[in-house]
Amino acid sequence: MMDADMDVPMQDAVSDQLNPSIMEDSGTALQHTVSNTNDNNSNNNNNISSSNNNHNSNTHGTNSNDNDEDDDDTYNDIEFKPGSSGIADHKSSKPLVLNNSSINQLDSWIEKLAKCENLSEDDVGRLCKMAVDVLQFEENVKPINVPVTICGDVHGQFHDLMELFKIGGPCPDTNYLFMGDYVDRGYYSVETVSYLVAMKVRYPHRITILRGNHESRQITQVYGFYDECLRKYGSANVWKMFTDLFDYFPITALVDNKVFCLHGGLSPMIETVDQVRELNRVQEVPHEGPMCDLLWSDPDDRGGWGISPRGAGFTFGQDISEQFNHTNDLSLVARAHQLVMEGYAWSHQQNVVTIFSAPNYCYRCGNQAAIMEVDENNNRQFLQYDPSVRPGEPTVSRKTPDYFL
Amino acid sequence: MDQVPPVTRGRQVRSLPLPHRCNNPRNPACAHCGTVIIPSPAAIMPLEDTPSISVGSWTIESRKRPILDTPALSQWESEHLPGLGALPEMIFGGNYVRIRCDLDESKHWDIEFNALDALREVPTEDSGVRVSCASDWLRSKHRRCDGAPPQIAKQYDWTYTTRYRGTVTGCPLVADTTAELPLAMLAKPDPILFFDDMVLYEDELGDNGASMYSCKVRVMPERLLLLARFFLRVDDVLLRVQDTRLYVEFAQNRVVREWKRYEADYNEVFKRHRGGVPPHRDLRALLRDSNWVVDHLPIVERTCETIQL
Repeated sequence: MMDADMDVPMQDAVSDQLNPSIMEDSGTALQHTVSNTNDNNSNNNNNISSSNNNHNSNTHGTNSNDNDEDDDDTYNDIEFKPGSSGIADHKSSKPLVLNNSSINQLDSWIEKLAKCENLSEDDVGRLCKMAVDVLQFEENVKPINVPVTICGDVHGQFHDLMELFKIGGPCPDTNYLFMGDYVDRGYYSVETVSYLVAMKVRYPHRITILRGNHESRQITQVYGFYDECLRKYGSANVWKMFTDLFDYFPITALVDNKVFCLHGGLSPMIETVDQVRELNRVQEVPHEGPMCDLLWSDPDDRGGWGISPRGAGFTFGQDISEQFNHTNDLSLVARAHQLVMEGYAWSHQQNVVTIFSAPNYCYRCGNQAAIMEVDENNNRQFLQYDPSVRPGEPTVSRKTPDYFL
Repeated sequence: MDQVPPVTRGRQVRSLPLPHRCNNPRNPACAHCGTVIIPSPAAIMPLEDTPSISVGSWTIESRKRPILDTPALSQWESEHLPGLGALPEMIFGGNYVRIRCDLDESKHWDIEFNALDALREVPTEDSGVRVSCASDWLRSKHRRCDGAPPQIAKQYDWTYTTRYRGTVTGCPLVADTTAELPLAMLAKPDPILFFDDMVLYEDELGDNGASMYSCKVRVMPERLLLLARFFLRVDDVLLRVQDTRLYVEFAQNRVVREWKRYEADYNEVFKRHRGGVPPHRDLRALLRDSNWVVDHLPIVERTCETIQL
């Protein structure tokens, strides 16, 4: 009936981001995607131009339609092996020290990326190798001094990330802490993560990039980063390099010993911050266990630990947050991971704050984004911002009518 | 850069370790002690779009607004939809498509598609569906727990599957399984006078797939077609599409509403089409596209109703 190649409107957010007509406008430097309603300016959804038929799940269906018997053979189509990119084959035994030539190189990459132009595959390899030698020496609980500006999900919305730096102040003059989810869903995951990693290597003490649940091999294959790498580079090499690098990202940060920052939330297996320090984090995000919980769990109105009705994933109540903050002498847990219309939301009577930094998420939710500044005296303030709109362009974009049946 | 930033957007470039100053006008300093007062978050992006068109005695209008803000969500959660353990992440609660027929000066018939009524038809009991890693995940929890293992907090259909087919005001439609949509009439390239396309609600299922109810409508000089689609993808587990098609023949004041449910196991579809996908297409990307999916799933249920106004 309906032709998938001709029609967009009934697809999900992920397919939207595969739209090549959007990708092509990346040639216009710093163009903001203009669509402030739940609409986006894509008109077709063909050319999903990747070639993998892979099926990477190593999980097993649990409903009556269980088909896990041949899951293993679905690995064949691509190399899924962690470490296969080689970026960590010659790790240094001490943290990277920049010299004039590496600073010049990084500055030129940053300048290019700031125009939303991606790096060559070779340069991504060089960048990732340098990044390994920065990130491998960061602790699981990265200590951070105030002042710092704390940010949530970005999801490949590159131009909105540039807007974030306009609102929050340019890096490195302002210290930044990002709580994960740089890739997937938006149109510019490659540019976004390349930019943040380049900034991290260039200014390692000014910017911290934590790992989100999307910084994983499995999730990026489902939600767009893998496809985007294939489309922009013609092979999965860049995807392999970045996903190998993601294994080195720190998973939590502690701001002035008072604000515990992480992507998802608490874990029933983690009662103290010290227990996070003992985890072996350099691996693909596991399907269960403390590291999984820290990147995936959500606060809930119900008290105690709850299990999602989906059958996997914890929720934690106010009693849990209060106890955790009390035990660890914290004032706040700051996390990201969930969309909120206002860009930030308090829960558990200000024991937990959710920060979301992708305005007009998926180019159609119409939500605001926010970042949280923590000053020298541990005062906090939130800065909310909207997606950037270019003057002269309509704020409501309408899809081209189609003869759907 | 590409625009002159409004005053509230600009920030002074500053070097550390200058003191951190509050320059967000929405976060005022206390007049007495100077402490920054952090107000409750407020959303300020209520963009709205409300197109409409009239053809004879029929009026078609739609409205698009952003997702619900936190106060509205809390209200929906506690007052309107108390049976759902958690609401979908993205509810376009201000969106609707409304099709109205003025029969005479005091009498009219209308059908509307909106998120609240759609969510009211989401079952409040266990759907039985679990994400692909659920059994491993739960087993590991049971193994590790000393006392009683944690329980699922609240059962409801977390896939947000709804049988919603629109909210009718006036005479209800009457079942008529022999009725068909006049596809030949709809295939004609009549000019499209009005077109809209919107999402009513959407959830990412905690990054385990997608659940979305969306609606689109096209109005031609003599007729209209509306397609309201519920699309569910639980990765490695389930694919489901439920389509409502509403057809109106304006001159005859005749309405046909067809509802179809398509469903199949995700991995079966994956396996069946793994070899048949052209080299430049990614099967996983196709499985995210409801238009491709619906063409590759079997119909498991169909109903049809009509009304002559």
